[in-house]
Amino acid sequence: MISEKHFVLIIDDHPLITEAYITALNYYSKHNETVEFSIQTANDCDSGRELIKKVLKSKEHKYIVFLDIKLPPSRDGEILSGEDLGLLIRELLPNPRIIVSTTFNDNFRVHSILKNINPEGFLIKNDITPLELLETIRTVVNDPPYYSKTVIKLLRDQVVNEFILDHYDRKILYELSVGTRMKDLPKLLPLSIAAIEKRKRNLKLMFNVRKLDDRQLMVSAKEKGFI
Amino acid sequence: MRFCGNPPKAAGSPLSPSKNDSVATWIRASKNDSYALQERKQFLIKAYHIVKASQIDTLQTRKLTTMAYQNLKLGDTTLFKNRTNEALVLATRINDSFAMGDAHWNYASYYTNRAVYDSAYQNFDTANKYFDKSGYVYESANMQYGMAFIKGRFKDYSGSEVLTFMAIKKFKQIEDFKSLYSCYDHLGALQNDIQEFDKALYYYNRSLEYLREFDNNQPEYEASLNNIGNTYLKKEEYSRALQKFNTLLKNDRLKLDNKDSYARALDNRAYCKLLMKDTLHVAKQLNEALHIRDSLDNKSGVIISKIHLASYYTYAQDSVKAITVAKEANGLADEIRNSRDYLESLSILANLDAQNSAVYLKRHIEYSDSLQIIERKIQNKFTRIAFETDEYIQETERLEGQKVWISIISIVVMLVIALLFLIWRQKVRHSLLLFENEQQQVNEQIYLISLKQQEKLENEKIKERNRISEELHDGVLGKLFGTRMNLGFLAIEGDKKTLKQHQLYIDELQTIEKEIRDVSHELSDNIDSSQINFLRIIHDVLENKSKLGGFEYEVDFNESIDWHKINQIIKANLYRIIQEALQNIIKHASAKNVSLLFNIDEEKLVVEIEDNGVGFDTKQKQKGIGMKNMKSRLKKLNGVFAVVSKLKGGTHLKIQIPI
Repeated sequence: MISEKHFVLIIDDHPLITEAYITALNYYSKHNETVEFSIQTANDCDSGRELIKKVLKSKEHKYIVFLDIKLPPSRDGEILSGEDLGLLIRELLPNPRIIVSTTFNDNFRVHSILKNINPEGFLIKNDITPLELLETIRTVVNDPPYYSKTVIKLLRDQVVNEFILDHYDRKILYELSVGTRMKDLPKLLPLSIAAIEKRKRNLKLMFNVRKLDDRQLMVSAKEKGFI
Repeated sequence: MRFCGNPPKAAGSPLSPSKNDSVATWIRASKNDSYALQERKQFLIKAYHIVKASQIDTLQTRKLTTMAYQNLKLGDTTLFKNRTNEALVLATRINDSFAMGDAHWNYASYYTNRAVYDSAYQNFDTANKYFDKSGYVYESANMQYGMAFIKGRFKDYSGSEVLTFMAIKKFKQIEDFKSLYSCYDHLGALQNDIQEFDKALYYYNRSLEYLREFDNNQPEYEASLNNIGNTYLKKEEYSRALQKFNTLLKNDRLKLDNKDSYARALDNRAYCKLLMKDTLHVAKQLNEALHIRDSLDNKSGVIISKIHLASYYTYAQDSVKAITVAKEANGLADEIRNSRDYLESLSILANLDAQNSAVYLKRHIEYSDSLQIIERKIQNKFTRIAFETDEYIQETERLEGQKVWISIISIVVMLVIALLFLIWRQKVRHSLLLFENEQQQVNEQIYLISLKQQEKLENEKIKERNRISEELHDGVLGKLFGTRMNLGFLAIEGDKKTLKQHQLYIDELQTIEKEIRDVSHELSDNIDSSQINFLRIIHDVLENKSKLGGFEYEVDFNESIDWHKINQIIKANLYRIIQEALQNIIKHASAKNVSLLFNIDEEKLVVEIEDNGVGFDTKQKQKGIGMKNMKSRLKKLNGVFAVVSKLKGGTHLKIQIPI
């Protein structure tokens, strides 16, 4: 059997986690001799970007990227998180298999990552066990995708719900849920305050909450898996 | 009849005493001639004692003068003098110019009665000053008439005329027709004296015009007719004179009602006929008149009758009888000091008694000379009195002027003081207001600062929570995850049980991770609390008050209101206003439903508070400070405030605040 060589990039700011991935990869290749991993690591956005550019030389290789979302941003401020890095990977690397591994489990971020990066593997760190990690590696290597439980649940909720929320609605809900003020929203969205107000009113109608109650809206949106 | 009497003295002072006033009762009783003279005097003494026992004031002083005059009328001159003196002293003490004038009038009457005319004149003059000064028109006019009367008597005709006209002016002012009649009658008499008969007739006719204006004018009418008749007589228009006297005598009642008047008319008519050389019944009538006058003890009448008889006897050429009656007339005239008739009787005697003619003539000349001297003296005296009066007037004017100046200056000073006081008070009020305002501003500032502080604190808290949440989420959670993973890949040596335990702990770690993540999420779960702060407070206050007032509430906020943009001061005041309004609803409205509406309308924040309570009448002035407070708060915010309420129809309060 010809051994398959995969270039693995681990971009995570926790050495312990990086180590765990390496352990898992090694464990996997040990038990599957046809699979070989060449592992390189980075621990922030800057080094991640450099690493991507460095490995780009060999175009025929298969790439597997373990990508953390919460990363120290790049110094030039261009890349703020793993999400941006993911976009860069998609742009630069040929057919990369991205395994997003994050501690975020809020629906908005998950949805956003799914939409933007469309990763081959999506792990919510808290969900997985060593066995699951191995299973992820196996699935991603052989037949992606692999989504961990929280992600699948979210997808299920959204299919069930008949609400049609566009990106802006989600963003508004998300921003409100993290305590962004209404007056600051126009800076984050290409919408006027009046348009945002209108969207908010519609959201309240949709979620069937009283006009006044933003908090209730947040609770309801969270229940229905939008944030 | 040249002068028909003294000016009438008013019976009472203008201060009419009340009916149950005992003093007035006694005085009235003393005027009642159904009592004996002694009794009437006794009444006056009683009245006097009551007055003396009471407090001395204007009323009592004036009563005293009335009493004194009554004493005079009853012939008690000693008491009269005492009382008048007393009244004068009291009046001077309490500075009652009416009472002072009245006292002098009393004296004037007294002296007129006693024919001490210079003293009478002096007193009339003084009384006039007092009356004129204090605006008693009737009294002042009477005094002038009195003076005119005296002047006329002493042949100061022009002076008398002037005074009479002055009196007439005043009497016309108060429309006292009887007095006006007297004045014109007096003017007629004056003209008669200076042989201006046409003028005299003119005045007599004027006096008759006024005569028609008052009742009970029979005696005056008779006197007037008699005067007019006499004037024609002197004018030698005998037929006209006769006509007047006949008119008088046509009245059958005259003989019964007024014997004196009847005798006078009878005498005059007979004399008139004599002058017309118609001697039929003349002697008889002249004697009848004489007889009546004698029986009435009318001495001056008797003298005239006798002079007329003397003329008759002269005409009848019975010089003995003529001389006898002329002598009798002369004696009587001398006795009663009737200088006119005395002189006339002397001239008649001089004509009749050829032997003694020189004596009579001499006596006539001497007497008329002395009379002239006396008259001149008295006229001089009048002039002096008038001069003194002028001086007095000038002095009064000077003092008056001084008084005016003093009052003007004092008024100005008082005004200045008042102005200063007002300014001072205004200043104090202003500073008080300023102080209050400042305090309010300080309060508001403190409130704002505390609000800001709270917001800052809140923000810091949120920041800190976020930091902790992040730290937990990104740091601790990652490390835990890494540790768990690594632990999971560790090939643990041991028996099955140990391995199972190992797995169990790893699972436990996973649970811990989950818990930490939940905690982290909860920590970061802060919806912008400050954004709904105000609405929250409004909600809270509604919740609270609705429980207190037992009403259901409904609140509606327009979404487009950006509460962050609205000034904290507006919000603070609005909160208070809403609180006040709700308090009012609880206190007065007993409403079942209250709705609160927030809206925005062209840069104006519109707040409507409506209840379905008992309502109130908006026209009625509000006593409570609740409404006032709301109004003053709104005023500060340049807001408008409208209340629509009907009794039993609920209340609708609309507030508009520019933002």
